Amino acid sequence: MISIEGLGFRFQGSPQYALRGVNLDIAPGEFVVITGPSGCGKSTLALAIGGYLFRQYDGEATGRVRVAGMDVRQCPIYDVAEVVGLVQQNPEAQFCTLTVQDEVAFGLENRRLPREEIRRRISWALEVVGASHLIEQPLATLSGGEKQKVAIAAIMAAKPQVLIFDEPTSNLDPTATAEVFKVIAHIRSKARITVLVIEHKVDYLLPFKPRLVAMKQGGIVYDGPVTEAHRPRPLPARPPSRSPITTSAGPVVRVEDLYVGYNATPVLQGVSLEIHRGEFVAVMGDNGSGKTTFLQSLLGLLKPNRGRVEVLGQDTRHISVSRLARQVGFVFQNPDHQLFAESVWQEATFAPRNFGALDEVTQAQVEALLARCGLGDRQHDHPYRLSYGEKRRLNLISVLAYVPQLILVDEMLIGQDAENAAFLLELLRERVKQGGTVIMVNHDPEVTRRYASRLIFFNGSRTVVDAPTEEGFQQLAALGQEVYLPSIRRRH
Amino acid sequence: MLFGTILVFVVPSPWLVLAVLGLVLLAFPVAGLHLGQVRGTRLLTTTALLLGVLQILFVRQGAVLVQIGPLALTADGVKAGVYVAGRFLNVVFLSYLFVLTTDPNSLAYALMQMGLPYRYGFTLITALRLVPIFEQEGQIVYSAQLARGVQYDTRSPGRFLSLARQFFLPLLVSALGKVDALAVSMEGRCFGKYPTRTFLRVVHVTRQDVTATILLLLCLAATAGTLIAF
Repeated sequence: MISIEGLGFRFQGSPQYALRGVNLDIAPGEFVVITGPSGCGKSTLALAIGGYLFRQYDGEATGRVRVAGMDVRQCPIYDVAEVVGLVQQNPEAQFCTLTVQDEVAFGLENRRLPREEIRRRISWALEVVGASHLIEQPLATLSGGEKQKVAIAAIMAAKPQVLIFDEPTSNLDPTATAEVFKVIAHIRSKARITVLVIEHKVDYLLPFKPRLVAMKQGGIVYDGPVTEAHRPRPLPARPPSRSPITTSAGPVVRVEDLYVGYNATPVLQGVSLEIHRGEFVAVMGDNGSGKTTFLQSLLGLLKPNRGRVEVLGQDTRHISVSRLARQVGFVFQNPDHQLFAESVWQEATFAPRNFGALDEVTQAQVEALLARCGLGDRQHDHPYRLSYGEKRRLNLISVLAYVPQLILVDEMLIGQDAENAAFLLELLRERVKQGGTVIMVNHDPEVTRRYASRLIFFNGSRTVVDAPTEEGFQQLAALGQEVYLPSIRRRH
Repeated sequence: MLFGTILVFVVPSPWLVLAVLGLVLLAFPVAGLHLGQVRGTRLLTTTALLLGVLQILFVRQGAVLVQIGPLALTADGVKAGVYVAGRFLNVVFLSYLFVLTTDPNSLAYALMQMGLPYRYGFTLITALRLVPIFEQEGQIVYSAQLARGVQYDTRSPGRFLSLARQFFLPLLVSALGKVDALAVSMEGRCFGKYPTRTFLRVVHVTRQDVTATILLLLCLAATAGTLIAF
């Protein structure tokens, strides 16, 4: 079905090859999982199989890609699109219309299919992904998981022979992730098509016994069945401190009966808790359960409708965000939304400069952090020239630089490979050991188990679990939140 | 909306402008809306009155109606005042009527089925889709700036420019990323393969649409007739 010989590709302006010497043969109906650290070339490989790489991106290509007998580098993109469907990472970014029905119809209308046939295919495709009930909905009202199901249906409707999923769950919470993988399994059973899944979370796919292709630095380093060596091994838990430090200065965070939100139904309803110095708190829960709103409330970005929030003894209603920010660092979800300066050095020292705190000690600290994060010799580069993983490190450095007492982290690990994630978490852990406090919204139960001393779980705008991590997992198990449990606690 | 706007600019008498305004206001309850849905009604009315009063005070042609010291209220002044205020309110309320009654997505699909090349139609739809996303992202970037200690209360133009650059750069980068993903998504679904495409959605002309169009055409014809007669 797919035959790749000696494929190499170098993006214009990049010194390194994104793909080098890739050889891969995939038979019709095979189920292949492509994995590897971020930046290893797996998404580039997907773009190459779909033909997009050779048309939409400037660069230097070598080798051959054949799909269903077509030479992908030569033939028109529309011919390849008849055979290969590509589901991308972010469902939001791939929508072309405003409603579910229009979206699934889009590709069929472009192919000039008659109305009756379009209708038939829409109901078939939505049924395959289990989203028939959404047909009349506007896309904007759907949850992340529903959006990705619709995106899959929109591709399935054209009945491709090859279906490629490029990290289809990286923006989703564990509940939605499990659902999307179920959909992929269902597609496999319903239609005999070739499926390629590019994914970090290999453990979800192991029950399907896929062929595993592992990539590193643009090349394939493993190609074969899944063996014991590929199964995730639980690492020892080592949260920094089991007992929070209570001082006479009072808790770092005190939240009393907090209600926040713009509409009639607040996003947070009646949340009360205290967080002390030296705690590493993991905040978990489905998307939309109020986790981000909770973090934003702690920095005063959102003010309470009812109740109160005190951070370091200051009521957030009576202090400006930029003043509170001097003691409270916030790492946002998307790295690109928080890069403001023109060089890596300027970016790393951006906040201390704004706070008037860029002294020699701080400069030395920033320099040490940059060196440790492998950015020491990139200080003059523009932040947007960094890789995704490097941007993430820079985001964290620019917060660590001014040593805030409390660090709020919102889903920093999305799209990060295990190595980079561990590196970032280690930096946070050290800060907690030095007496700082970290509150981190996170979807990965393994990360929570390994790093956090306390687990707070949001559900339906309230905290339903708030306990030391291990105890928190027991409570989650009792609540039936299986997908939020680390693998050693799962029943299957 | 177009018909109405033309109408209000060609009607020959200021009192007819008010009559058109009456019709427009009447259209709100007919369309199942109420005027409370128009934001800033008070500001709009005040502006209209102010515009009218300025005309009344400063237009000096025509028969003097009232003389107060150096100020003379003339017949032409009152006419001009009613004209300006009436036209202003008409255009504003007509625009609101349009926005509140028309789903822009349906409008785009309707225009494409009436012959608008589909590439332009989808430009409009993409814009409709992306505007709320950018609004949301703008809010996040602003929050991220506050969190890094950026202060917006500046009076220096140089500093303001640098703040603007810092605000728009992340949005621009994010937009470019979206364009890449969207291009893959559209081409992957054969957008642009043929000069025409089919449409699942049929946008029907309702009885209301026909009635409104006929009424407006009648009004326009009557006005044109009056203009020619005089």
